[in-house]
Amino acid sequence: MLRFTFERALGMIVTMFFVSIMVFFIMEIPPGDYADRYAFRKYSGTGVNVTEADIQAIRRELGLDKGMIFRYFDWIGGIVLRGDFGQAFAFETSVVKVIGDKAWLTLGILFSTLLITYIVSIPVGIYAAVRRGSAADYGLTIFSYLGLALPNFLLALILLYFANKYFDADIGGLFSPRYADAPWSLGKFWDLITHLWLPAFVLAWSAVAYQIQTVRATMSDELNKLSVTAARARGVPEAKLLIKYPARLAINPVVSTIGFDVNRIFSELPIVAVVLGLTELGELLLRAYLDLDMYVAGAILLLLTAMIVIMNFVSDLLLAWLDPRIKLGA
Amino acid sequence: MDTLLSVENLSVSFKTDEGVITPVQGVSFTVARGKTLGLVGESGSGKSVSTKALMRLLPGSATIAPEAKMHYLDKHDKLIEIEKLKGKGAPIRALRGGEIGMIFQEPMASFSPVYTIGNQMIEAIRLHKKLGKREARAHAIEMLDKVGISNPQARVDQYPHEMSGGMRQRAMIALALSAGPALLIADEPTTALDVTIQAQVLELMSDLQKDLGMGMIFITHDLGVIAQIADEVAVMYLGTIVERGPTRDVIHNPAHPYTVGLLEAIPSLDRLDERLKPVPGDIPSPNERPQGCPFQTRCQHVVDGLCNQTAPLETPLAAGHSVRCWLHDEKGKSAA
Amino acid sequence: MATITDGQGPQETPNTQDTRQTKKETRAERKERERLLKYYSASQWTLIWWRFRRHRAAMVAAAVLAIMAVLGIFAEFVAPYGPTTRDTKYIDGAPQIPLFCDHNGCSLRPFIHGVKTERDSVTLRAISVPDPETRVFVNFFVSGERTRLLGLFPTTIHLFGLDDPKAKIHLWGTDDLGRDVFSRTMYATRTSLSIGTLGVLISFVLALVIGGTAGFFGGMIDNVIQRITEIIRVVPIIPLYMGLAAAMPKEWSTTQVYFAMTLILGLFGWPTLARRVRSQLLSIRNEDYVVAATLAGAKPSRIIGQHMLPSFTSFIIVDLVISFPYMILSETALSFVGLGLRPPTVSWGVLLQQAQSIRAIEQTPWLFIPAVFVVVAVLAFTVIGDGLRDAADPYGGK
Repeated sequence: MLRFTFERALGMIVTMFFVSIMVFFIMEIPPGDYADRYAFRKYSGTGVNVTEADIQAIRRELGLDKGMIFRYFDWIGGIVLRGDFGQAFAFETSVVKVIGDKAWLTLGILFSTLLITYIVSIPVGIYAAVRRGSAADYGLTIFSYLGLALPNFLLALILLYFANKYFDADIGGLFSPRYADAPWSLGKFWDLITHLWLPAFVLAWSAVAYQIQTVRATMSDELNKLSVTAARARGVPEAKLLIKYPARLAINPVVSTIGFDVNRIFSELPIVAVVLGLTELGELLLRAYLDLDMYVAGAILLLLTAMIVIMNFVSDLLLAWLDPRIKLGA
Repeated sequence: MDTLLSVENLSVSFKTDEGVITPVQGVSFTVARGKTLGLVGESGSGKSVSTKALMRLLPGSATIAPEAKMHYLDKHDKLIEIEKLKGKGAPIRALRGGEIGMIFQEPMASFSPVYTIGNQMIEAIRLHKKLGKREARAHAIEMLDKVGISNPQARVDQYPHEMSGGMRQRAMIALALSAGPALLIADEPTTALDVTIQAQVLELMSDLQKDLGMGMIFITHDLGVIAQIADEVAVMYLGTIVERGPTRDVIHNPAHPYTVGLLEAIPSLDRLDERLKPVPGDIPSPNERPQGCPFQTRCQHVVDGLCNQTAPLETPLAAGHSVRCWLHDEKGKSAA
Repeated sequence: MATITDGQGPQETPNTQDTRQTKKETRAERKERERLLKYYSASQWTLIWWRFRRHRAAMVAAAVLAIMAVLGIFAEFVAPYGPTTRDTKYIDGAPQIPLFCDHNGCSLRPFIHGVKTERDSVTLRAISVPDPETRVFVNFFVSGERTRLLGLFPTTIHLFGLDDPKAKIHLWGTDDLGRDVFSRTMYATRTSLSIGTLGVLISFVLALVIGGTAGFFGGMIDNVIQRITEIIRVVPIIPLYMGLAAAMPKEWSTTQVYFAMTLILGLFGWPTLARRVRSQLLSIRNEDYVVAATLAGAKPSRIIGQHMLPSFTSFIIVDLVISFPYMILSETALSFVGLGLRPPTVSWGVLLQQAQSIRAIEQTPWLFIPAVFVVVAVLAFTVIGDGLRDAADPYGGK
């Protein structure tokens, strides 16, 4: 087990190394010179006339005159050694400061979404498989089709609208105005919780739809396995039988796709964040892209991917723990 | 004779997309305490469905005809009418495993891969015997030892995939026997095994049977295996028993053309230079049941106007030996 | 014939059995036998088609999608107006449903009410309100705006329109610039479906090449490709698309942006498909029938073309169909947040950009009609994908 963990951790680091190269390329793609944009941002409206020499100076200051490989190692070195993600020029401060709390809020959204996803989809998927062909099963199938088809920014809008119309509540955002800029306190934390459920619900929507189908399919397969019949032939009570034999195995594909779910959630996050007015990384990423503030964008892309890679690692370990057959192959 | 189980007139039908099919039709047999009944037939002949009906393990799409009687005399000499039990609940659960044990063709698939052998055995033991965890474990180890698994103390904590095929089948037997059933249903337990291991497992099973005084229903498509293990044999074809009787009698004086065909299909060392004679044709699918005698489409002695019109009745031949074939019926003999 | 069929053994050929049967065979039985014969001799694709046809939901979905495609392809003809044509007299106007009856009685021909301008009593802004006293009749195949059908054939004929050339019909209302939502949705359908198709095709070609290389050569090449695939799969896809889309120069023309978008969508859509191609190739490579073909001396090209490809093309097609929704949803999402296609190009996502707020739901809910198209298209592709998967799986006899 220890060796398995070590190997997977090593694989994780290798993956992240390649991901960082890809992210760096994306940061480099936008046309025009970073120094131009930097100068434009810094001096626009100040009346200062920017000369070519000024831009050259900025270029040297930011190390942009060096080669790409040097700049990559400078960038990644800063992140790994000093936790320094570079400068966010649109905010005129460091990327770390801009990201700050938002990373924790994003994690909060992520884990509440995952929680909702699994709490709903696993039992419902099992139920649908056991009651295969019943009205409830068909209803759930239709629901999960809809869940996959409805773009979640629409769902967010619809929910906002109804909350507004029938409850006269402004449920967007992550905090009430009262707490938005307040320091952390128990009250603010509770305020966050009461706001978190909506983005979590919206983001969980398609994940639930997807996982219900996965669980239902695996559970249906497992129910037909000889081992279930054999256990029944030994007189194992039905409820215990369902949980101990097929359901236990139906969870495996869910565990093995945790990373996939996180990927999907992060994919949808920026758009949902725009509609719901969430002040977290997805929304910041979108803004950074629109401003071509590539150090911020790169940092966020790297962080989100790192989270996915970590969750993949967790899912590998969980799976190895859940399924004794896996250790053999390790 | 001390009858342990008697099945009378068992018919099972399934609802399918193509209509209702009846893979088991009017099957009757008995199993005596401590004796072995062999059920022989090709795949699709209804052997497995009959025994699953006995354990009430059929899926929801199946119905057992109301006139069927499945009477079982339990360890306390109480008569249990299996056909009247509910499909769920304590009485049928006490029967499953505790009174009637079952082993299957594929040992790998009959174990759950995510629990140890011991875990699954202890579960079965504690369901049927009032034992504590530690005692149950000791019993499990004892059973593993009994089926000839070496180093049972270590093996008990192994997962099924860590064992070889023959060892898994032994473990499967140990698992089925651990709750101490009085009747064992073995559904093609040796088919998936190598020939040498097959012989070991057969020997083990007949030893265990004598040891524990169990009744046994042994399902196979191989009459050769039956000759080694069964006291009585019933040959099934397309859901009906076409011939039954004491094993020696049936093998030496087969009466039904199908039984004859099955015996001729067994490769034998005495007849190496002869060609094998397979039973010609294929078993018809249950939704295309032929009219009259079920075997008439493949029978070489088919009597036109009789075999393809009316199903033959059971005709007694000798003590305990009977056949369903027009060739052995007065009416059929005159027609032929 | 019947007299010589009494023999046994070799004479028991299907032929003699047939003659025995024809004696009793009724017409229904013969039909059944012919049906079975047809079934057993049908090709793989015919079988898939038969099974697919039985899947009612998938057939309905296919029909819906076909209608959508036709609407999009012939947008110039179906839409009464161009995507950017403005009707300044009818801004933020509600849908005009053709009527047969109103308080002035009934008419055999459908009509809509005319529009008159009034001042809003509160804001004093000029607003358009229907005038229930005037009628404008709707007609089919009317002459209207000059367009080019499929961008090629000049025409002025539109599927429907109003008799009065000065009045305009807005089946699904108008937006804040007075543009006809129905017409815009038709053009958007063309854009969104075509971008999805091109994106899927690009990723399909990439998947075949990359997955094929990995699966066919195996070993070191396979390892490297596997690693790259894994890395792309691990990055959240929409943020990745966004990064590439954000890099598109602002001065690019709409056509350039359009093709850049298809490239971006296609460029990262392949990993799932490539994995499928690879694993199929790897598993088939060791199948007995492929080994047998190799031993029989078949050329590699023949082995791939005749033996390997047919056995998994059906799966690839299923995967292709299933990847459509991702393309469409990604395009919609990117355009929705302003990182995809840009006006004046219209796509479902671009149209939905106008419907981002609660206010839009409250005041101009008809701007959400393109969303219905998104949902229906995605649903249709998913259902067809499922239908195809069931049809293509020879063992899935549910």
